[in-house]
Amino acid sequence: MKVEGSYTFAAPRERIWALLNDPDVLARVTPGVKTLTPQGADAYKAKIELAVGPVKGAYDGTVRITDKTPPERMTLRVEGGGKPGTIRATGELRLEEQDGRTVVNYTGDAQITGLIAGIGHRLIGGVAKQMAGEFFKAVEKELRPR
Amino acid sequence: MIPASFEYFSPRTVPEAVNLLVRYGQEAKLLAGGHSLVPLMKLRLAAPRYVVDLNRIDGLSYIREADGFLRLGALTRHAEIETSELMRGRYPLLADAARVISDPLVRNMGTIGGSLAHADPAGDWGAAMLAAGAEIVATGPGGTRTIPVEEFFEGTFVTALRPDEILTEIRLPQAGRGQGGAYLKLERKVGDFAIAAVGVALALDGDGACRRVGIGLCNVGSTSLRAEKAARLLTGQKPDDATVARAAAAAAAECDPASDLRGPAEYKRDVVRVLTARAVRLAAQRARGGA
Repeated sequence: MKVEGSYTFAAPRERIWALLNDPDVLARVTPGVKTLTPQGADAYKAKIELAVGPVKGAYDGTVRITDKTPPERMTLRVEGGGKPGTIRATGELRLEEQDGRTVVNYTGDAQITGLIAGIGHRLIGGVAKQMAGEFFKAVEKELRPR
Repeated sequence: MIPASFEYFSPRTVPEAVNLLVRYGQEAKLLAGGHSLVPLMKLRLAAPRYVVDLNRIDGLSYIREADGFLRLGALTRHAEIETSELMRGRYPLLADAARVISDPLVRNMGTIGGSLAHADPAGDWGAAMLAAGAEIVATGPGGTRTIPVEEFFEGTFVTALRPDEILTEIRLPQAGRGQGGAYLKLERKVGDFAIAAVGVALALDGDGACRRVGIGLCNVGSTSLRAEKAARLLTGQKPDDATVARAAAAAAAECDPASDLRGPAEYKRDVVRVLTARAVRLAAQRARGGA
């Protein structure tokens, strides 16, 4: 299943790159993340609780950041599983600076198995886009002073 | 599978039901027709600790015109709307939509309030009510409030209802002369979710130009969608072939379908284009007094 889109931030590219590579920020902005524990460089163990309305699931997973070319591109590799199913996803983020703003283009590919894949197949595309939107809106919030 | 353990309540009044929601909050789920919630519970994709059954509360199931509104009680079953003479005669958009929801078993149990509160993007009532410009009446511990349907759908399975609120009524402007509507759905087989479906409500003025156009789209986004640009293109214009084609193309561009077992995204967009054009023509025909 493929997801793609883009999001524009009113901030320079270095700032957005720094946010996306900060584990504390990632733990705050990634939907459903309960804990994000570093496991060496650019690798994390994650506990995620995702709720889509009444459908709630807990997942254990790993997140790795690879193919980094600061501040232009990076690839996120996520693997996780829980009772509702398993997911293996790869997302490529490309950051482009335009007049002091940063355009993040993302393309992702996910393989999902288990109950959510069988029963929820028709909803996965929409939910993935929704979560990508939540992720980027939360990153945007990080830009504002506390 | 069977559901995970839960405690079951069967209140007799709305205030009793609201109090249970106040007490149990996010751990509680309301049960109406049950054909969305119970399958999720049996698969254990949803496991609420408390289930509040609304079916023994009197006075939540009605179809009536009063004070300039059509008022539908939240517990009205799809089948009741489908067979209502009032719906067929004066609210064809709603009669059309009721007829194509799932299958007769679901229509006998499923309720319009439950369907809207469940907010499945493939739910037919969501698109129909967006086209109709309805209002949702929610009852909570502080009383009732009215939510315009345009503000109601926040995400997949997520609405503007608070955890301690019950959707108790749906209302829309009472039908008048020169108004028409239609709901068209393409499905792979009878009873399926839509590949795409389109609901249209409009009125024609004395010159035959459209006013108060509403277009709702089903299963082509992460929520039920309004085709706002398409509706604006029709407003103030006669629904001739060229205008209808422009509006239909706009509706196709405004939706956001995912590619899945029901077809690739581009196919679904084109289904929206075709169904929008057909639904606009049918609604206009009914507004003129035909069909």
